[in-house]
Amino acid sequence: MEVQLNPLQAQGPGHGGAVSVAEPPPELERAPLVANNRSFGWISNRVASLSEGAAPRWWWVLFIPSVLALGMLLFLVSYQISTGVGVWGNMRPVMWAWDIVNFVWWIGIGHAGTLISAILFLLRQRWRTAVNRAAEAMTIFAVMCAGIYPALHVGRAWYDWWLFPVPNSNSIWPQFRSPLMWDVFAVSTYFTVSVLFWYMGLIPDVAVLRDRARTRFRQFVYGLLALGWTGSNRHWSNYEKAYLILAGLSTPLVLSVHSVVSLDFSVSQLPGWHTPIFPPYFVAGAIFSGFGMVLTLLLPLRSMFKLQDLITMRHVDMMCKVVLATGSIVGYAYAMEFFIAWYSGSPGERFHFLNRALGPYQWAWLMMISCNVLVPQLFWVKALRRNLVVVFIVSILINIGMWFERFVIIVVSLHRDFIPSSWGYYRPTWVDICTYIGTFGLFFTMFLLFIRFLPMIAISEVKGVTPQADPHHPLGGARPMEVLHHA
Amino acid sequence: MSANARAEEPVSSPAGAAGTGSGAPRAGEAAAGSGPVYWRSLDELAGKPEFRQWVEREFPAGASEWEDGVSRRHFLRLMSASMLLAGAGFAGNGCRRPVERLEPFGQMPEDYTHGMPLYYATAMPEHGSAVPLVVKSNDGRPTKIEGNKLHPDGNGGTDRFAQASILNLYDPDRAARFTRGGNPCAPEAAFEFLAELGRKAGQNGGQGLCFLLEPGNSPSRARLVQAMSRNWPQARWYVHDPVDLDIHRRAATLAFGRPVEPRWQFHKADVVVSLDCDFLGSETDVHNHIRRFSERRRLESGQDTPMRLYIAESLMSVTGFNAEHRLRLPASAVVALAAALAAQVRNSGASNLEPLAKAAGLEAGWLARWIEACARDLAAHRGRSLVVAGYRQPLEAHLLAYAMNAALGNLGQTVLFLPAAERREEGLPELAQALAAGQVQTLVVLGGNPAYSAPADLDWARTQRRAGTVVRLGHYEDETFPLCDWHLPAAHYLESWGDARTSDGTLVPIQPLLAPLFGGLTELEVLARLAGAKTTEPYGIARETFAGLCGAQPFEAAWRKFLHDGFLAGSAAQSVAVSLDEAAVAAAVGRVEQPGQLSKERLEVVFQRDYRLDDGRYNNNGWLQEMPDPVTKIVWDNVVLVSRKTALELGVKDSDVVEVKLGERTARGPVWVQPGMADYSLGLTLGYGRRRSGRVGSNVGFDVYPLRTTGGPNLAVGAVVRAVGQSYAVSCTQTHWSLEGRPIVREADLEDYRRRPDFVKEADAAEEELPVAAPLYPNPFDALKAQGLHQWGMSIDLNRCVGCSACVLACQSENNVPIVGKEQVGRGREMHWLRIDRYYKGGPGAKESFRDAFRPEAEQQFERWIDDPQVVTQPMLCQHCEAAPCENVCPVNATTHDQEGLNVMAYNRCVGTRYCSNNCPYKVRRFNFFDYNKRPIGQLYLGPFGHRRADEWDLIKMVKNPDVTVRMRGVMEKCTFCLQRIEQAKIAQKVKAGASDQVLVPTDSFTTACAQACPAEAIVFGNLNDPNSAVSRRKKLDRDYSVLKGLMTKPRTTYLARVRNPNPAMPDQPPGPVSARESGPERGGSG
Repeated sequence: MEVQLNPLQAQGPGHGGAVSVAEPPPELERAPLVANNRSFGWISNRVASLSEGAAPRWWWVLFIPSVLALGMLLFLVSYQISTGVGVWGNMRPVMWAWDIVNFVWWIGIGHAGTLISAILFLLRQRWRTAVNRAAEAMTIFAVMCAGIYPALHVGRAWYDWWLFPVPNSNSIWPQFRSPLMWDVFAVSTYFTVSVLFWYMGLIPDVAVLRDRARTRFRQFVYGLLALGWTGSNRHWSNYEKAYLILAGLSTPLVLSVHSVVSLDFSVSQLPGWHTPIFPPYFVAGAIFSGFGMVLTLLLPLRSMFKLQDLITMRHVDMMCKVVLATGSIVGYAYAMEFFIAWYSGSPGERFHFLNRALGPYQWAWLMMISCNVLVPQLFWVKALRRNLVVVFIVSILINIGMWFERFVIIVVSLHRDFIPSSWGYYRPTWVDICTYIGTFGLFFTMFLLFIRFLPMIAISEVKGVTPQADPHHPLGGARPMEVLHHA
Repeated sequence: MSANARAEEPVSSPAGAAGTGSGAPRAGEAAAGSGPVYWRSLDELAGKPEFRQWVEREFPAGASEWEDGVSRRHFLRLMSASMLLAGAGFAGNGCRRPVERLEPFGQMPEDYTHGMPLYYATAMPEHGSAVPLVVKSNDGRPTKIEGNKLHPDGNGGTDRFAQASILNLYDPDRAARFTRGGNPCAPEAAFEFLAELGRKAGQNGGQGLCFLLEPGNSPSRARLVQAMSRNWPQARWYVHDPVDLDIHRRAATLAFGRPVEPRWQFHKADVVVSLDCDFLGSETDVHNHIRRFSERRRLESGQDTPMRLYIAESLMSVTGFNAEHRLRLPASAVVALAAALAAQVRNSGASNLEPLAKAAGLEAGWLARWIEACARDLAAHRGRSLVVAGYRQPLEAHLLAYAMNAALGNLGQTVLFLPAAERREEGLPELAQALAAGQVQTLVVLGGNPAYSAPADLDWARTQRRAGTVVRLGHYEDETFPLCDWHLPAAHYLESWGDARTSDGTLVPIQPLLAPLFGGLTELEVLARLAGAKTTEPYGIARETFAGLCGAQPFEAAWRKFLHDGFLAGSAAQSVAVSLDEAAVAAAVGRVEQPGQLSKERLEVVFQRDYRLDDGRYNNNGWLQEMPDPVTKIVWDNVVLVSRKTALELGVKDSDVVEVKLGERTARGPVWVQPGMADYSLGLTLGYGRRRSGRVGSNVGFDVYPLRTTGGPNLAVGAVVRAVGQSYAVSCTQTHWSLEGRPIVREADLEDYRRRPDFVKEADAAEEELPVAAPLYPNPFDALKAQGLHQWGMSIDLNRCVGCSACVLACQSENNVPIVGKEQVGRGREMHWLRIDRYYKGGPGAKESFRDAFRPEAEQQFERWIDDPQVVTQPMLCQHCEAAPCENVCPVNATTHDQEGLNVMAYNRCVGTRYCSNNCPYKVRRFNFFDYNKRPIGQLYLGPFGHRRADEWDLIKMVKNPDVTVRMRGVMEKCTFCLQRIEQAKIAQKVKAGASDQVLVPTDSFTTACAQACPAEAIVFGNLNDPNSAVSRRKKLDRDYSVLKGLMTKPRTTYLARVRNPNPAMPDQPPGPVSARESGPERGGSG
C-alpha cells in the first residue's frame, strides 16, 4: 500500500519537544491503527467532509437504483399484502422459503455491527473503532430489511399485532411456547438496543458536524441530533459510562438474537431443524456473514472516500481472521450435523442429511459448502488476506454461501420430510426474487443516506487510538517517521 | 341433526316441506276444483299475469330483479313463495291469495325450524342405474349428498360422482334458456312446438320421428316410451352411452339364452379373477361393488381369510391396486388369457400359450404356471369363486367368464342374474345410418352430448344436420347445442321429479329439493308433452307410475312412505336360475384369436372411462376436476399413459407432448409414465378437451374421442406415437411414489400375520430406535381428558380402503373446501383436507437402489424396480395428535386442543405464519395462499382486482355448508373431524336430555362426512371412551398402529395394517409385501 508521510502532521499537541528515549526494536512495534501519523484535525476534517459539500457522482449512481429498488419493494409488499402469500413460491410442504431464508440472512448480517461495537469494545480490541460506526449502521439497516419478512410472510399481515402481548377484551394472549413469539421479542429488543447504541456513539461526532455547519439548517438539524453536546469533561464522563453500559447490554443480545432465531428451527421436530447445535452454530454463522458484509461494504468505501489511513490493511487483516475463524466454526458445525445424524441412528435424520448432499437440492448444498467452508480457507495465507481483490470476492462469496446455508436448512429440510407422498420441489417466483432485490434497495438507500449525512467513522473514537493519543507510548505518541515507516 | 335421525323422526313428504315447490298445488287453480295442479317451473309461475301483478303491486322495487337469473334474494323469494304455496295448498284455502307471501317463513312450514337442516330421500340416475341418496337441505338449498343407509342394498356409502353432483346443480354454466335456432325463445313456444310435434306424430304414426336417449331405467320413462311407441309405431328409439356398460347384460343374455343381467356377489367370493374388469373403479355400480368387496376383506383376527383377487389388465386401475396377483397384460391379449384360463378351469385341453406369452412379454412357462395356479385356486373354491370381465373386453371374454363361473358352480352363488328388459332401442350407428338415409325428419335428443362423444367415424356434427329438425333437452349449451334447432334446458336430478331403479331393481324416487334454478325441464316432462299426455308434470307422472307399482297398498300412505324412505320396500328384482348355453360359449371360444405382437410401431390404445369426469359429463365440475385421479394423482388433465419401458423406447418422458396416430386419426396429449402399465399399451381417458364447456371445463386436457370409432370404442391396436417436441405442464398431487422403506403403510401376508399377529408392533421398533420417553409437545389438556365425556377418534382399515376417493369429495362438500385450479395444484397448494396417498412398491425381484430415494421426482420413471408394483393407498388427514406438534409452535394460539381430544383450529385467530404446517409430520394442514373462495381460479394473482361474476358468486355461496366457516386467504385449515357434526350431535343429545344428565351422545349415532361416504366402511369414527363404539372395537384389533409412532405425537387417527392373502403357489409371489420387507429388520434404520 502506498503510504504518504507528512512530517508536519506527526506533531501531536503537547509533544512538541525532543525526547531522548531509546527507540523500541522494530519487531516489537505494532502497526498503528491510524496510518501515516494523521493528526486529530486531519481525522475530523477527513471524516466530516464526507457528509459536507456536494455528493460525489458515484453516490448518485448507486443511490438512484437503490431508491428505485426500494420503490419496487414497496410495490411488491403491497401486492403481496393485497393479494396473498401465494404470489411467492411458497408451497406445501415448503411453507417457508425465501421469506424466512432472507429474514435469517439479513438478521445474520446484522450481527457483525453489534459484535464489533459491543464485544470487541469490552475486549478492548481497539481496531474496532475505525469500522464500528459503519458496521452498526449496517446492522440497523439489515435488521430493518430482516424485519420486513416476518411481518409480511404471514397470511394476514394486518393482524401482526396479535404476536405482541397486547391486553385485549378476549383475554387471548400469544402462545408463549412458540419460538416465533420469542423471535418477536429477540429481534425487537436487538433492534432497539442497536439503534440506541449507534445513536449514543454518534452524539460527539454529530456535534462535530454541528460545529462545522455552514448553513443554518445543518446547524439546526445536527444541533438537535447532538442533544446539546459540548464535549465537556462531565459529558465525556457520562458518555463513557453510558457507552459501557450499552455495550454490556448489547453483548448478550449478540448471542441471544440469533440463538432465538435458530430456535425457530430447533424447537420443531423436523429432521434438519431439530438440532441442539443450532444456537452456537447460527451465532458463528451470523458473525461470519456479518463480517463478510462489512468487508463487502467497507472495501469499496475505503477507496472511494480515500480512507486508507483510517481503515488500514491491519483492519482488513483482522476482519479476515475473524472470517476464517467463524467460517471454520461453521464448517465444523456442518460436519457435526452429519456426524450426529449418523450417530443418533435416527432414520429420519440420516435420510435428511443424505438428501441434503445427494438429493434434488444438491446444487444448493454444494454452493453452501464451497462458499462457506472451502473459500474462507484462503485466509490462512497472509498474502491473500492483504489482497483487496481477493478479500472483496471472498466476502461476496461468503454472503452468497450464507444465503445458501439458510436455504439448505429451511427449504431442503422442508421439501422432504416424514411422509414421502407430500414431498415436493420448491421454486421461487419473480415476486420472491424481486422482493429480495427490493430489500437491497432499502438497505442501500439507507446506507447511502447514512454515509452521506452522518460520519461513517467514529471521529472521536479513532482519535483515541492514534499513537499521539496514547500518553503511555514510550515516545509519547509522536515518534520519528522512520519508526512508522516500516509498517 | 344427522342423517340417521331420519329413522326416528319422519321427514315430511315434500309437498308439505321446504324446497319442493314443484310439488305444490297452485293456489288459484286448486280453488277451481280441478284437482291438484302443480306448477312446473318458476318461469311459468312468474309468467302468470296475476302473479306478475302481485309482484309489482307488492314489491315494485324488486320486480325488476326478477329477470336477473339467480341471485340470493331471488332464490329466497322463490323459496318462501313456494313454501307458502305449499302450505296454502294443504290448508285448502287456495281461493284467497295469501298476501303474506313476501315475508319469508311468515307461516312456518310444517317440520321446518329455521337453521335446522332437513333431509330428503332421493336418487341419482347413473348410467342406467341409480344411487339411492339422502340429501341435506339447509333453508331450502341442498348442501350435502349422502347415501341412503336404509336402502336394502346399501350402507350409506356413495361414489365420487354422487358426492360431486351437487356442485353441478349450482353450476352457473348450465343451460338456462329455451332457444330456437340458437336464439332465446319463450318456453311456451317450445311447449307449443312439442305439442304440435306430438299431434303430427299422432297423424302419421311417428313417421320420421326419432328419439336419442341416454340409458335409464326409470319406470316412468319406460311407461311413457311404451305408450308412445304403441301410439306411434313408426317412431324409432335409439340409446347412446359413450361408455357402453350394457355389454354385461348383452353378454349374459347371450350366454344364458334369456334376457338377464349379472349381479356380482363379491361378499360371497373367496377368490375373484378379474379379466380387465375395474369393478372398483370404472364399471357401473361401483359403490356397491366396493361395499361387497370390502366386506369380504374384513379381517378381525387370524381366523378370517380375506378374499383373494387376481387381475389381468393393461392399465393400472383401482381394482389393480387391490389385487394380490396382478398380471400386466395388453388389453387386447386379455381375451386370450381368458381362453387359456377357461381351458384350464373347464379341463377342455391345453392351449398354446406361446403367442400370448410373447404378446405379454412373458416367459411361456412362467405364464403357464401363473394360469395353472390361478385355475387351481379357482377350482379349490367351487361355488365360492368369481370370474368377471370388464366392459372394455369383447363379448368373447364375457362369455368365457360366464363359462368359467358355470364350470365352477358359481352361478346363483357368487353371481346372481336378474331378469332384464329386452332392449329394443338401437344404438348410435343405426341412428347415423337412418340420418344418412334421410329417414329422420325430427330428432329428439334427450340428454347426452353426441357431438362430443359420438364415435369419430360417424362424424356426428355433420350427420346430425341431416335431420329435419333437432330438438334437444340438454344440461349445457355444449358441442351439440349449435347443431340443435330447439334447445331446452334440462333440470338437475335434485330439481326433478322422477323415479328409477337401483342395481338390485329396487324402485327409488327422484325427489326434487328445490324448484329448477334455471327453469329446466325433465326428460319425463318433455316426453309427456310430446305424447300429449294429460299429465305433463313429472310429479304427476311419477305418481301415476307409482300407483301402478305399489300394489294393493293404500296409495297416499305408500307414496308418502316411498318418498320418506327413498325406496319401495320389496320391489327388488328376484334373481333367476340360468343355465349356460354351451353353443354360444363354443362359438365364442372359436372366435378368440391369438393376440398379435405389439411393438412401438404397433401400439395398443385403451380408452377408459375417466375416474373423475366419467365420459365428459362432469367436465364442468371443479371438485371432480381437482380430485386427484386415484391412480395417477393428476388433476385437471388427462394424459397418455405409458409404461416405463414404452416411454424409454419411444424416447419420451413425463410431460412430453406426443401425437397418437391411429389409422388416419390423431390426438395430441402429454405422456405420463404409469407404473404397472402393460408395455406397448397407451391409456387414454375420455372426457377432456371439451371445446364448448363451461368456465371450469373448457380447454382442459385433450380430447381422445377423435381416435374412437364404432369399431374400437374401448380398444384399438395399431397406433403409433410421435413426440411433438413440446412440453406440457401436468399438475400431480403426489410426485413421489415410494415409501422409502418407512413403515407408514404396514403390510403383511396372511400367513405371516397368522404367525406373528403383532407384526405392526415390530415395525414400530424399526421406525425409531431412539428411546423417546415423552412427547416433545405434551398436551396441556391431558389432565382434563378425564373430564371429557367423549374422546373422539378414528380408525382407518387399510384392508378395506380401495382408494376410490369418494371420501375426498365428501369432505370437500361437507367442509366447504375450495378448488384452487391446476396452476395452484402444480405449486403444491391443493386444499383437500383428506387426501389418498398412493405408494408403489417394486414387484418381485425388484431392488431399489440406494440413490433412488435421492433422485429428483422426474427421474423416477427410470427406476426399474417399479415395472410390476404392488400398490397401497392410505387416506391421510389430520391425525388429531394428542401431543400435537402444530399447537406448540403457533405464536397466536390459533390451533389448540380441546378436552375431547380434538386438535381445533380457530380461523379467526390465525395470522398465517404456516409454522404449524412446517412442524406437522403428516403434512395435512392446508394454507389459503389466495382468496380461493372469493376469486375465480383464473384471477387469483389479480388480488383485489379479481372478481367472480355475479352469477357464479351467488351460486357458489349456495353450495356452502352453513355450519362450516368459509376461510379467507392467509389462514391455515385442516380436517376438524367434522366438528360441526360432533357439535350437532351433542346439542341434539342435550336437547333430548333436558334436565337429566344423559348428555352422552349415543354410540355411533353420527359420523364424519368421509366415514359416511365410504362404501367400504374403511373409515370409522366415534367415541373412544365408549367401549362399544365401532372405533373402539377396531382399535383393539392387533393390526392397529399409528403412523410415525416414533415421534410420540399420539395420533387419535390410527390405521389397521393391510394384510394381503396371496397364493403361495403363484410364480409372481414375492416373499411378503415389499414394503414390509423394506422396513423390516434387514433394512430398518438405514433410512
